[in-house]
Amino acid sequence: MTENILEIKDLVVHYETDDGVVYAVNGISLAIGKGQTLGLVGETGAGKTTTALSILNLVPNPPGVIKSGEILLDNINMLSLPARELQNVRGKDVAMIFQDPMTALNPVMTIGEQIAESVMLHHKDFSKEDCIERAKEMLRQVGIDDSRAADYPHQLSGGMRQRVVIAIALACNPKLLIADEPTTALDVTIQAQVLALMKQLKQEFNTVMLLITHDLGVVAEVCDEVAVMYAGHIVEKGSAYDVFNHTLHPYTEGLFNSLPNLRERGEELVPIKGMMPDPMQLPTGCVFAPRCPYVMDKCRLGQPELKDHGQSHFVACIAYDSEDFKLRRNS
Amino acid sequence: MTNIILEVQDLKKYFTTAKGQLHAVDGVTFQVEKGTTLGIVGESGCGKSTTGRSILKLIEPTSGKILFNGEDITHYDKRKMRPLRTEMQIIFQDPFSSLDPRQTISQIISEPLIEHNLVKGRQAIEKRTLELMDTVGLASRLVNTYPHELDGGRRQRIGIARALAVNPQLIVCDEPVSALDVSIQAQVLNLLKKLQKDLGLTYIFITHDLAVVKYFSDNIAVMYLGQMVEKSSSDDLFKSPTHPYTQALLSAIPYPIVGKDKPERKLIKGEITSPVNLPDECRFSKRCDYTVEKCLERNPALKEISPGHFVACARVE
Repeated sequence: MTENILEIKDLVVHYETDDGVVYAVNGISLAIGKGQTLGLVGETGAGKTTTALSILNLVPNPPGVIKSGEILLDNINMLSLPARELQNVRGKDVAMIFQDPMTALNPVMTIGEQIAESVMLHHKDFSKEDCIERAKEMLRQVGIDDSRAADYPHQLSGGMRQRVVIAIALACNPKLLIADEPTTALDVTIQAQVLALMKQLKQEFNTVMLLITHDLGVVAEVCDEVAVMYAGHIVEKGSAYDVFNHTLHPYTEGLFNSLPNLRERGEELVPIKGMMPDPMQLPTGCVFAPRCPYVMDKCRLGQPELKDHGQSHFVACIAYDSEDFKLRRNS
Repeated sequence: MTNIILEVQDLKKYFTTAKGQLHAVDGVTFQVEKGTTLGIVGESGCGKSTTGRSILKLIEPTSGKILFNGEDITHYDKRKMRPLRTEMQIIFQDPFSSLDPRQTISQIISEPLIEHNLVKGRQAIEKRTLELMDTVGLASRLVNTYPHELDGGRRQRIGIARALAVNPQLIVCDEPVSALDVSIQAQVLNLLKKLQKDLGLTYIFITHDLAVVKYFSDNIAVMYLGQMVEKSSSDDLFKSPTHPYTQALLSAIPYPIVGKDKPERKLIKGEITSPVNLPDECRFSKRCDYTVEKCLERNPALKEISPGHFVACARVE
């Protein structure tokens, strides 16, 4: 039907706890086309990881409930797939890289065995030797000498562990790679190496990538498209160039203003005032209104819809109902 | 000369491990002027935190000298350090593990006041606690809450208030904003900067984040494997980074820029090598693009290449 590998439509996810309902994801829609990398940006609690877990139907239930929405992977709805078939998709068609490579790896299995295991699970016709051969090949691909296949995770540095996690993720040639803060735990020089590796392998393996991060610098480095998430809503999305150079949403502008820019040694940063709303008691009206420097009375009436502002650059802000509204960053 | 609040000379801290001597800090020398900020930058394992903690004598240094306001505190024991604790304080990285979960905010902030007998009488202590909370921007209604009820940004403010309680001159900030979201990070950085201006504080700012350090520091020291490889004013360091490691660090920063003006990236190979039993050669030589024979002969010392700008590299010798 379309060229989209992944399509998320109106996804709503709640965590129903004893204390009340946590409104984690509140009706978001996303799509990733062939060969693309989408960056999902937001701060702690924005709902980024919940969105990622939903794709594999892995939201812990209870308390998590996917209330409504569709998740189409190659036009197959993941949310209505029976558990058995879902097992085949996980790790094979969709692979995931987590933030902390130490907890993602099994400490009592060698790294070679761990890579081979994921191959074995999804290729029943492979012999054990085939799988181990494939594991060694993957190690070389991610820049680790295959003589280290017999090492245990604790014998590797953080950067190498993350490379192993990437090797496991790509071993089955997934259609979609979800990377949840893959470099947050790494040092900058290692982060630069790992990002370069991910970019290169994404090309070689012809997969699409959903990169979840809070770091706008990382997004600028690897992403083609960007979606900015705030309190369970997508407030802006578009091409990386547009979002960075023609920012539309006040929250996105706030994120940029908070960065201690390397180019100027300004006297004071301009943080976003206040903090993220409690996801159990989201404000009525626009979720960003309580912190927004451009807030108007009508912002409190309802959450604005994500509207096309031209050239597939979407923004959820009613200020753009008036033609001449501009963010300070752009004027 | 009297303006130097802290002087560290040839500080060394070795840990004995099963494999040999681990050179965590290996001959670090620097001075900090009153009211300024020294940024110490480097990656995990470069010895920046060990340096920070040694200054406060939270770790006993192996050798070297630490002079605080001209007073040699290198061999002070706990008892002798005690009065100095009101002069020098520390803010830790993780506001989740550095606060006692069973104490209320008022208990956490007032503890140093009581411990050092700085304020007497319950009412006075209460008043000072609220004053401190106000200084760091914590609402007074939070006075009886527990740390777990608060978010990271507020917890870090408690850590700052606790450090300020004793009216210190010097605060070692060990990655104070690394655990926080960017919008909150900016709030805390602004607060630290304002406090410095209002109270004349001196900071030693330890971080791996060059963007933060540039924004914050007057002088910067770059550390690699226990040694300082480059040391200069903040402006100089960013304008003309000279040590290959500094250049690599600067180039590795992911700039939040798309399209034009995006700086070219240069990757360095490999990873930080083991700090155990180090041979006498340039410690960066294994990862450096410019390594020549001279680099493997001995470990270069810091050399002043322009006023106040020191570099330890065979290329400038």
